[in-house]
Amino acid sequence: MKGLLKYIEKIKPNFEQGGKYEKWHSIFESFETFLFVPGVTTPKKGAHIRDAMDSKRLMSVVVIALIPALLFGMWNTGYQHFLALGETAGFMQEFIHGLIKVLPIVLVSYIAGLGTEFIFVYIKKKEIEEGFLVSGLLIPLIVPVGIPLWMVAVATIIAVVIGKEVFGGTGMNIVNPALLTRAILFFSYPSKMSGDKIWVSGLDNGMVVSDAYSGATPLAQAASTSSEQLTEHGFKFFNGLEKESVTFFDMFMGWIPGSIGETSTLMILIGAAILLYTGVASWKIMFSGLVGAILMGLIFNMFATDTNPFMALPFYDHLVLGGFAFGLVFMATDPVTAAQTEKGKWIYGFLVGFIAILVRVLNPAYPEGMMLAILLMNVFSPLIDYYVVRGNVKKRLKRMSA
Amino acid sequence: MQDLVNIFVKSIFIDNMVFAYFLGMCSYLAVSKTVKTATGLGLAVVFVLGITVPVNYLLENYILKKGALEWLIGDQAATLDLSFLSFIMFIAVIASMVQLVEMVVEKFAPSLYTSLGIFLPLIAVNCAILGGALFMQEREYTSIGEATVFGLGSGIGFFLAIIGIAAIREKIRYSEVPAPLRGIGITFIATGLMAIAFMTFMGIKL
Repeated sequence: MKGLLKYIEKIKPNFEQGGKYEKWHSIFESFETFLFVPGVTTPKKGAHIRDAMDSKRLMSVVVIALIPALLFGMWNTGYQHFLALGETAGFMQEFIHGLIKVLPIVLVSYIAGLGTEFIFVYIKKKEIEEGFLVSGLLIPLIVPVGIPLWMVAVATIIAVVIGKEVFGGTGMNIVNPALLTRAILFFSYPSKMSGDKIWVSGLDNGMVVSDAYSGATPLAQAASTSSEQLTEHGFKFFNGLEKESVTFFDMFMGWIPGSIGETSTLMILIGAAILLYTGVASWKIMFSGLVGAILMGLIFNMFATDTNPFMALPFYDHLVLGGFAFGLVFMATDPVTAAQTEKGKWIYGFLVGFIAILVRVLNPAYPEGMMLAILLMNVFSPLIDYYVVRGNVKKRLKRMSA
Repeated sequence: MQDLVNIFVKSIFIDNMVFAYFLGMCSYLAVSKTVKTATGLGLAVVFVLGITVPVNYLLENYILKKGALEWLIGDQAATLDLSFLSFIMFIAVIASMVQLVEMVVEKFAPSLYTSLGIFLPLIAVNCAILGGALFMQEREYTSIGEATVFGLGSGIGFFLAIIGIAAIREKIRYSEVPAPLRGIGITFIATGLMAIAFMTFMGIKL
């Protein structure tokens, strides 16, 4: 570390005004402040205190919180692959297979997104903010492993440009760029974002699989359960191999097919603990989102009919299936796009959970409601804030006149 | 009853005038600078749609449709099809309704009248209103109740859209939007993002 700092200090003058590489100052600055806390301190006479905790440090916390889900996702990718093949493999073999599959997606997302970001920073002659650090890691975690890399690149670039840069860059976007990337992928290339073939690596390349293997995610299985099957044995989930059923515990632990980082609720909870302990994410949003989802699940359970057997899925299963947990912990709590007011956070979180389950159950076109529910609340969070602020203004005016 | 609720929910969320059909964009873009004015215009649209759609429904079913004049001239009406007149009739109804609404509002709620200002007469040329009447004709609603509920629902859908974009525009007022995109440009992009978010409801069968 010391050596690195020394090196940076050594080459720094080249990038200062009048230096050799003056043009590249913004990009040098970005790397410097990413690696080390900027060496600027409050002047002696300032009325404010400059905290060492800036947005880059804040975002590194989120990145650390994402690591458990990422590592588990890598292992799970390999595990599902060998399960589909019908072979047994060791832990390391599975992990390395997953690493080979997942790492390129991570790299492509970072290179495409950061590249776009740097171009904009360069044109605007601004220093880069926390930039793309978190989004770049979120994107690989919410796509299926079978996605072609060029699609990731295209969608990432589009999302960064129209979702973020045109609004003025970091901190000013109205929708979460990672979610927008997924939405763009989902609506532009639906065949690569849904179905049974894409969740397990190698399955869409015509890999020879063992008998009776289906790569459907448990969420898709729940959605396609017919009323006859339901009356016969209730909801049953299969772990790819039709014979082996998975329990609630398996789905909680996450060894099921799904998007790379979304399957393991346990790993997401570890991430949530890190986020809540450091105070980076809002517990209000997570809690009220959970309440909203449970409430909607209970309402559906109460009014379950034969025409839509999916309504009978117990509410606690909704919480561990699909991207619900991941979305609620890492996406809905994005401090930029969520509601900013404290009261607004309760409303925002509640509606995210509520709409997610609503769309999941009632909309046969989309197996996963979480992505769209968060996007929808992202665009309406300014409105929630507006009314919360208005209400407060009114209350205080009343108090003043009284 | 359930049909009515379905039509209502559908016209607000699934067949949203702005995000599903991109109708009424001119006033949507022009009057969405602040939430306050947007609320005024949105309410006026709800009101006008809620009145003109059922009135146009009556026109359509008792005068314009093939055989609709039976109550007046008996069997001769069977071959009489006046539906080529529907555009002009609908527009006339909308324009006169807006005038009427304007007069009523001016007389009984002068404060609302002044706060709405030019937006009230502007509604006459809002294509979401004519769109509402034409959708009513195309979708062949079977009772005046359905038509009313559809009109109100469409209005509320427009209302939601316009206050939503107004809040976003208030929020991004101080953002560093690139100069060429400031104003209408960024509003279009935000509208596109909102439309993606509204795809949430597409495909729900009611």
